[in-house]
Amino acid sequence: MSISRRNLLLGGAALAAVGVLGGTLLLNGNEALASVETGAQAPAFSVQDASGATRTLAEFSGRTVILEWTNHGCPYVRKHYDSDTMQTLQRDTTADGIVWLQVISSAPGEQGHLDAAGARARVQTDNAAPTATLLDPSGAMGRAYGARTTPHMYIINPQGVLVYQGAIDDQPSARPASLQGANSYVRAALADLAAGRLVQTAETVPYGCGVKYV
Amino acid sequence: MKRLLAAIAILLGLAGSALAQSSLPPAIERNVEGSLHAARAAIAPGETFTIVLRQNIREGWHTYWRNPGDSGEATELTWTTPPGYDVGAIQWPTPEAIPFATLVNFGYHGEVLFPIEVTAPANARPGEQVTFTAEAYWLVCSDICIPEEATLTFTLPVATQGRDDPQWAPRIAQAVAGLPRREEGVEARITEGAPARLSVVLPNANSIRNVRFFPYSRDVLLASGPQLPRVGESGVSFDVAGGVATDVGRAPLEGVVAYEASDGRLRGVEIVAEPGDPIPGTDGAPAPMSSDYPLAELEGASAPAAPVSMDALGILIALGLAFLGGLILNIMPCVLPVLSVKALSFAGGAHNGEARRDGLFYFAGVMATFMALAVLLLVLRGAGEAVGWGFQLQAPWVTSALALLFFAIGLNLLGVFEIGGSLQNAGGSLAQRGGSAGSFFTGALAVIAATPCTAPFMAGAIGVALTQSAAITLLIFAALALGFALPLTLLHFAPGLQRLIPKPGAWMDRAKHVLAFPMFAAAVWLAWVLAEQAGPMGVLSLLLIATALAFVLLTARWGRAWLIAGALVFVVTGVFTWRPLLGVQTETVLASEPWSAARVAELRAEGRPVFVNFTAAWCVTCKVNELAALSSPRLAQGFAEANVAYLKGDWTNRDDEIAAALAEHGRAGVPLYLYYPSNGEPQVLPQVLTEALVLETIAGAQ
Repeated sequence: MSISRRNLLLGGAALAAVGVLGGTLLLNGNEALASVETGAQAPAFSVQDASGATRTLAEFSGRTVILEWTNHGCPYVRKHYDSDTMQTLQRDTTADGIVWLQVISSAPGEQGHLDAAGARARVQTDNAAPTATLLDPSGAMGRAYGARTTPHMYIINPQGVLVYQGAIDDQPSARPASLQGANSYVRAALADLAAGRLVQTAETVPYGCGVKYV
Repeated sequence: MKRLLAAIAILLGLAGSALAQSSLPPAIERNVEGSLHAARAAIAPGETFTIVLRQNIREGWHTYWRNPGDSGEATELTWTTPPGYDVGAIQWPTPEAIPFATLVNFGYHGEVLFPIEVTAPANARPGEQVTFTAEAYWLVCSDICIPEEATLTFTLPVATQGRDDPQWAPRIAQAVAGLPRREEGVEARITEGAPARLSVVLPNANSIRNVRFFPYSRDVLLASGPQLPRVGESGVSFDVAGGVATDVGRAPLEGVVAYEASDGRLRGVEIVAEPGDPIPGTDGAPAPMSSDYPLAELEGASAPAAPVSMDALGILIALGLAFLGGLILNIMPCVLPVLSVKALSFAGGAHNGEARRDGLFYFAGVMATFMALAVLLLVLRGAGEAVGWGFQLQAPWVTSALALLFFAIGLNLLGVFEIGGSLQNAGGSLAQRGGSAGSFFTGALAVIAATPCTAPFMAGAIGVALTQSAAITLLIFAALALGFALPLTLLHFAPGLQRLIPKPGAWMDRAKHVLAFPMFAAAVWLAWVLAEQAGPMGVLSLLLIATALAFVLLTARWGRAWLIAGALVFVVTGVFTWRPLLGVQTETVLASEPWSAARVAELRAEGRPVFVNFTAAWCVTCKVNELAALSSPRLAQGFAEANVAYLKGDWTNRDDEIAAALAEHGRAGVPLYLYYPSNGEPQVLPQVLTEALVLETIAGAQ
């Protein structure tokens, strides 16, 4: 009987035990989808973007930040990109000095998941104009914000307060025709902010595909 | 605890789900086959008849109800009709709740018929053919979503005398009969509040299960939120929460209450809840849910009301899982050391014949102990304790007790204390008797000693077992025992295998020490569960008790005086901290509102006296003062009589406004108590408060 076999047995047993517990913790960790109240401080995050840089909410302090949960395979996201609606909104807002962050919370192997190179290529393909594309394959950021659908939009004011969350517009449909006459909640909220008013419609029910979490 | 069980169930279920996963459909194929059908083979001028949109949905995919829930989109039809014909809206059958990851959607599986009413004009000419065309659009989803479009048509002849289509008339009639609609005697009320309470009078409330409310509006509730359905003798109640609508409880709330009727069919009744007080008799017990109800976990599945009968295959699977579970128990952290040590005790030099006999007796010991546990459970169930079982596992005190147990076991494994007490000695001396009796008690001891570790894991088996008949319960426990006993018994019989067992030595201590850490991790996890159940106060109590427990365990072996001192510390700690762990809410009789300078000014402008308490969770003096001087009903009465507003400034987290207010009164920290009489300057109260002083202050200043 060698020492190594002994150690192997022991190590194996300990690993199994730790594994069972760890797995349990992980599985449990996956369940919770938080929600942030409109008017509350937006949760801090620290996430890699598609260029490999770590982005935090703190670095954008003093600027308005828009978060856009996205999944390029989702028909609702396609409606907004194939019609150039989303890109136009991105260009209009970033031109005003607003920070636009796309967030991809699809888990590896799920629809919409992209690695850094894939995310950069997708921005090219879509001719999109976000400030950055955040990669959240663990879903930690998505869960902290309670992101439920793609698209799901959040607006954070320069003080870091969440001032809008919900749908991108009032047409909960994947049909391209629904874009005609759609009222953009995001544009309306930004107009309120620009005018120094309270955001009139500060919370709506998001629509789209479910976020493909781990 | 429930989540732990769910996690285990998932682990065990992995194998099954891998088998169940079918191959993906080819991309070009449609996921929904759609068609239109009329109940009439010919229509008469002026008559109203029913047509249906039929969706045949691929297995594993679903389409949506009028309110799709958290995501998705309802089916749409855009009609082109002959002039004069009037086509009504889609009438929606009762939806199912379809959970996906963290979301819940409302929709349909399999074949669905959506009735639509059509009215022919009075001047329709008999003999002509009329064609209806619908541009259909639906979103169909499994884990991904695909929008599909189709052009659907049907053509009907107009005749002087209409007649039914023999194939479709009965099917459509059945579909129409199944639609949710208003029913005689069904009333509903919605309260304000978060959660708001929806109460519904349902004549058949006692014979239904899997009941859920589906609102027509997406805004009134969070589709994936629990509704915690309850039933009483006259109806059901639901929690309504999480929506973005701000007028819940002030506007009528429309939707469908769906349930599984006693015949197993999905039924629905349309309700319009008027704002008002809850209807009495609608929230007795948690509403029953079937074991296959997809939202059972979301709703915190109460134990099924009646034993659910299992078919033979189900029993076999349960037995197999119990056996596997028993095997796994052998490597559970607190069982493995026990067993390794036991294994070592006979590995040294027992003759084969003797070893076999020992093996058999060990086996018998394990089986007998498990059977005894099973019988105990059956007796408890007979005594009506079964209903309480699931709730017990959710109770904060059980979570706390388990956390303390894991913590103590960890300390024991680290050698902080030895179990010098009667249990192991009794068991140990019995076990050391040698021979048959010794082996028998080794088996029994292994089961008993293992209970702390295995209890959470066995709870799953117990849960299943308790819903079954006594015979099946015993069988499941027997399978569990077999799995548990088998590895060590085999060792007795196969001397060759014994070579695999490590020899005793210093490594045993090291192993014990290493195994202490999974125990601590388990305790940490349970503390986190407790945080959700009992909040920060619960966790504080648990950690204090754990500290006292560690103290008494450490000191107990230093002799009687230390034991008494340690026990005293433990008891005193327990006396002061047990309340949150038993779920007893310390009544906050004196209601406070958050402090702000503006609020103080506002209240003073109204002429009200104001009492301000600047406090923080980490400030011990503050908490002592709050308990001693600011929490009695008498004080609350005093405040009420003098119409004093009570504001609390919580400085637990950094807050510049509060810091400024403190500085204004020459303080750099909390506590600070301020009393603003209805007129005059504010008074600063001492940092150590008594109730009498507070009462005097508010009385004297009037």
